[in-house]
Amino acid sequence: MNRLAKLLFVPVLLAAVPACSVLRLDSVDFGWPVESVVTVSGTNTIEDIRYSVKAEVAPLAQEEFQDSTALRGARLRLLRSTEGYYFLTGAKFRHVYVFAPGPSSLTLTKAIQVSEVGLRNPALNQRPPFVELLDGDALRILLTSDDIAEAKK
Amino acid sequence: MNRTLLTALLGAALCAPATAQHSDFALKSDFEDQYRQISARLDSASTTEEIDSLKEEIERLASDYAPHEEFLDRALYPLTFSESITKLRSLQVLTYDRVYLIRTQGVKLSELEARITSLTTRLDSLTAQRDQLFGELQESRKSLSALREAVRRLTANLTAKDRLIFAIVDSIFLPYGKDLSQVADVQKEAIGQRLERSNVITRVYEIAADNVKFLDATQLQGRDYGNLIEQYEAFNGRWAGLKQKMTDVAAAGASIPAESAEKGTSKAAVVRRGVKELRDAPETAAAQAAHVDSALVEWHAKLIAGFWGGLQKEFSQAGISVAPFSDGPSFSASIRQEVASLAASKQDPQPFVDALWKQRIDRDWREGLSKDAMLGRAEYAALDKLVSELSRDTIDTTFVAYIAGILVIIGVIWFFVFRTKKRPDQPVPAA
Repeated sequence: MNRLAKLLFVPVLLAAVPACSVLRLDSVDFGWPVESVVTVSGTNTIEDIRYSVKAEVAPLAQEEFQDSTALRGARLRLLRSTEGYYFLTGAKFRHVYVFAPGPSSLTLTKAIQVSEVGLRNPALNQRPPFVELLDGDALRILLTSDDIAEAKK
Repeated sequence: MNRTLLTALLGAALCAPATAQHSDFALKSDFEDQYRQISARLDSASTTEEIDSLKEEIERLASDYAPHEEFLDRALYPLTFSESITKLRSLQVLTYDRVYLIRTQGVKLSELEARITSLTTRLDSLTAQRDQLFGELQESRKSLSALREAVRRLTANLTAKDRLIFAIVDSIFLPYGKDLSQVADVQKEAIGQRLERSNVITRVYEIAADNVKFLDATQLQGRDYGNLIEQYEAFNGRWAGLKQKMTDVAAAGASIPAESAEKGTSKAAVVRRGVKELRDAPETAAAQAAHVDSALVEWHAKLIAGFWGGLQKEFSQAGISVAPFSDGPSFSASIRQEVASLAASKQDPQPFVDALWKQRIDRDWREGLSKDAMLGRAEYAALDKLVSELSRDTIDTTFVAYIAGILVIIGVIWFFVFRTKKRPDQPVPAA
């Protein structure tokens, strides 16, 4: 009986493997060609029409400015990288926030510090495999989803 | 000298990366801003010289942004860079043609706008007059002549309103020629805004609704219907044409980028903020069109019911019972049946032929019946001939009786003459 079980184990395992495998599509490009400039509403939400993204940003205001209402009326820069991460920043921000999408949520994966005093006029560009952060003519940084890849001041 | 040069080169080298960097968003926004400015200037251009200078600006825009074509193709979705430039070039050509057409026709856009404003004002005064006339119609029910006068004036008022609203429509579309497929989307958007500003759809609906109210409020005579049917048919045809144009215009409104639509004043444009809302334009146009369509259906139904009901009443008032009818074919069948029945029986056809057909139907209802939408000219002529033949039989009998009467009179005269002539020949009796 034991021997029979051992003999059957390998074919059963082989048959089971395809059934359990997860369908996966690779080489997906999530990147937006250009950033979205969105204005924070009175209810602390941002919305991008073209890509149908809507999010509440009060926790972000709390995190960056220690004031959940600090972003009302502010213009934020939002860009999705080719990997699918959302990069978010704005004027007076000292960080670029990197979020991963989840079910009805965006989860912070990294807050990358890019300035000591706060950005003045930031812009995000898609530069695969990086996301480029500009601040006027003074700053140019290439970002990955978790760090600064290259900085020029 | 060398030190200065070295410092300058070092400075340039340090600054080069900084000055070369640009925001993609700013690039896209700059392109869109310039695109919109040129579109707007083309839209308001009134001289060919002005449009010629804009052609140069379009070519400059194309060459300035050509190095960023690949990026703009993705950023300007759903249009590509080359499609945007092509659209602008075709708008320039069409605007040139339009302005040239207006110049050669001796009509200026400002004159057309003034004409539309004037027509709209006249239309508003007619609307005020209409309210007064409806009031008069209610008051003059007791006097037949006053009622007829109120009906006449109200009909004239509705016809004038009908004519004016489509004169406004014609003025709006005049500069763009007959073929709207040749008109650029931005211009169609401008037409849409003019239609909205002049409140055209509401006014068209109002005219249809006024006619329904008019048909409800008054008892019409047979002779009134010819004009009313004609008016309905003409209105219906013109509305079908306008509806098609509106659909084209609304479809163009939906394909215009949201940013450029926002500058418009139309409700459809104001609510446009993205792809989802862009669909509202044709839907709104369709809903408005459906509203007018339903008023027209009601107008038609009341007109038809009033016409055939009134005609049926003529028969019952004349004491002639015919099979009920509610449209051209059933009326035709009913008359043919009546004629056949009268021809077969020995009943006197006179009341039907003379008192009803000739005095009432042919005099008051012929114009309405001859309309293609009712009975048609050919079928009316066929029925008239049929009824007349029935009448000819009557005339023949009378004629025979008349001849017989004359013969009797001649006979009597002859008899007396003969007797008069014979008398002298009579022998005198012997005394």
